[in-house]
Amino acid sequence: MANKIYDREKSLSLIKSLSLAFGPTGCEEPVVELIEKKLETLSVPFMRDRMGNIIARLRFGDIKVEGRRKIMVSAHMDEVGFMINEVDDKGYFHMDTVGGIDGSVMAGRKVLVGDGKRLTCGVIASTAIHHKKKDERSKAEKLEKLYIDIGATDRESAKQYADIGSFVAFDSEFYTFGKNRSFIKSKALDDRMGCAAMLEVIEALADTDVCGDLDVYFCFTVREEIGLSGALTAANLIRPDLALVLETTAVGDIEGASPEKRVAELGEGVCISLMDRSTIYGRAEIDFVLSLARQEGIALQVKKYVSGGNDAGSIHKSGSGVKTVALSVPTRYLHSPSCVANFEDYLAQRDIVEAIIRKSNEYFSDVTLS
Amino acid sequence: MKIREELKNKIISLCSMTSVSGFEGICEDDLVVLIGGGFDEHYKDRVGNHVFVKRCGKANAPRILVDAHYDEIGMMVTEVCDGGFLKFTNIGGIDRAILAASDVVIHGSETFDGVIASTPPHLRQGEEGDLPEIKDMIIDTGMDKEYLLKTAPVGTPVTFRKRYTELLGGQISGASFDNKACAAAAAYGIERAERERLAGDVYLVLSAYEETSHMGGISPAAFDIEPHYAMVVDVNLADCPAAPKRETVTLGEGVSISKSAATDKRLTEATERLCKDKDIAFSIIAAASSTGTNAASLNIIRAGVPVVDVGLPLKNMHTYNEVISLDDALTLRRLIEEFVCSRELAEEFGRTVELFDEEVSYGK
Repeated sequence: MANKIYDREKSLSLIKSLSLAFGPTGCEEPVVELIEKKLETLSVPFMRDRMGNIIARLRFGDIKVEGRRKIMVSAHMDEVGFMINEVDDKGYFHMDTVGGIDGSVMAGRKVLVGDGKRLTCGVIASTAIHHKKKDERSKAEKLEKLYIDIGATDRESAKQYADIGSFVAFDSEFYTFGKNRSFIKSKALDDRMGCAAMLEVIEALADTDVCGDLDVYFCFTVREEIGLSGALTAANLIRPDLALVLETTAVGDIEGASPEKRVAELGEGVCISLMDRSTIYGRAEIDFVLSLARQEGIALQVKKYVSGGNDAGSIHKSGSGVKTVALSVPTRYLHSPSCVANFEDYLAQRDIVEAIIRKSNEYFSDVTLS
Repeated sequence: MKIREELKNKIISLCSMTSVSGFEGICEDDLVVLIGGGFDEHYKDRVGNHVFVKRCGKANAPRILVDAHYDEIGMMVTEVCDGGFLKFTNIGGIDRAILAASDVVIHGSETFDGVIASTPPHLRQGEEGDLPEIKDMIIDTGMDKEYLLKTAPVGTPVTFRKRYTELLGGQISGASFDNKACAAAAAYGIERAERERLAGDVYLVLSAYEETSHMGGISPAAFDIEPHYAMVVDVNLADCPAAPKRETVTLGEGVSISKSAATDKRLTEATERLCKDKDIAFSIIAAASSTGTNAASLNIIRAGVPVVDVGLPLKNMHTYNEVISLDDALTLRRLIEEFVCSRELAEEFGRTVELFDEEVSYGK
């Protein structure tokens, strides 16, 4: 079934528009607007919850049947960024990070500044190498020393564009490159690829009748990057029987990396996690997905390193516990303005999610849930 | 003027009480007497939070939660030594730079005074400016060892001695304004709000355990109450020569409102609008990923609680001579009164939790 109804250019353009949207944690509204617009064109019912998550629902089978199963699929909308914490008298903005950003990817980058409604271009200023002492050249500039220049000349003119508490995101280009142009480069692939995959799965399943009496809740969540997962409160609201977390996972499959830190290989398929720093995943769910991928011919690889964490960490412990699966697109240079992923892995993520939903009756009849 | 005096007295009375994290129960009876009068109901939950409820008298009204933690930093006895000395450890973040030669009170089966020992310059060994670790410091009680073993065994809480003085410009100085000054302002603000004006049922939570862990008392309290929206009030670092400006607010210029990825953006903006409408002085502080207060843990209870983080500027945080401005405390009191009376907020945030068309109940 893989790639039957999908179109490469359409998928890429969806990933592009989502990943370029402005959405640092706490200011996800521009991403929300895009997703809501798409859901409206698909005529799929959706709601916002109190945290700001978007929840879309597809119902299959007879909705009057008691004991219908619930699957929660989630991907987070937020991205790492900055928040302005001072406007100085020269009109420069000083900032703190929102989520984890490495000091080596800040200096000299283009950024967008604002509250989501109106955005202004800026640059994170960097001391010229000519002005750096020899020992300073070997270290990343400290965050406290960096500042954003939007071209304002004094505090008052700067404050017309942004102020203390305004958000900042990287301003990056989207492009494809490499063999068959299968590598995608953009900011915020973490986790807008997951959002794109959910939208495509919703589109594929919207007018079908899958497998029995099932409600699927697609959650586009907020606030993953600061560890205060919006997915937690969505899971508390939905109380699903099974959760699928669509993510990216940081990999180091590059020249010079030690073998154990490679984590996974780009182009080898979507990653399934056995264990990370927030979750130990259930064996029955892992086996079900592994065997399903084999049957369907979907490229799947096992994440080979215990690292990272994602919304699964809060979902699996929510309520009285939720069986949770994490499916991640391996991505290089995560949390930078230039993340790199492979389009084939994205397709595998999208296809395995669709397959799991279609075949979930097999899973639910095999495992014992209360 | 009367409001000012009353608030000052309330702050000093509440801050004078002993409520070291984990030992909040010591002040329980006094606390209920001081705060309870202005409320309809009071209960203490399993983790030691005190919840004071003021009803608006309407059915199905939104539940508005105002949180102020009432525990305070302190110390605890770890060893009874010969010669009337006690070894101790800190509860919450205490800078060891302030400890030598400080006045303390030991809250054992009897309450008695002591002084933390210090080395005079005449006897100093090593570099001037070297600070001993807390585990190597001792409290001099002047009692004998038998008495100490009996009345102040290992685990006994210790506080600084508290004394309140007035500085210029309406500032006051003393211990434990963090966070009982906010708790007093909140209680007084809600007490003075006329019942007919209330926009919902108001739950004032004086929460336990904040100083030792932000995941402490407030989460179970909010789990029980299921508030529609909430305000967390806590002290905020005030501008002073040693502190970086971008991490502080200015004392005497009103309350602070935090902009943060960890709080609700819409409720924060609505609270800003409320301040502007009601002419309440405030400043904005950026707290990018974390507010360092109860706001974050309150925010993610159940299906999520919209929360705004409000601060009272304070100098010398976590010392026994913290400084606040009484004007700021009055401003905070007024903001809390307007917050719990705001129809606009109740309209926007007082919705029942629904999953599509289904009302979500948690089995209550």
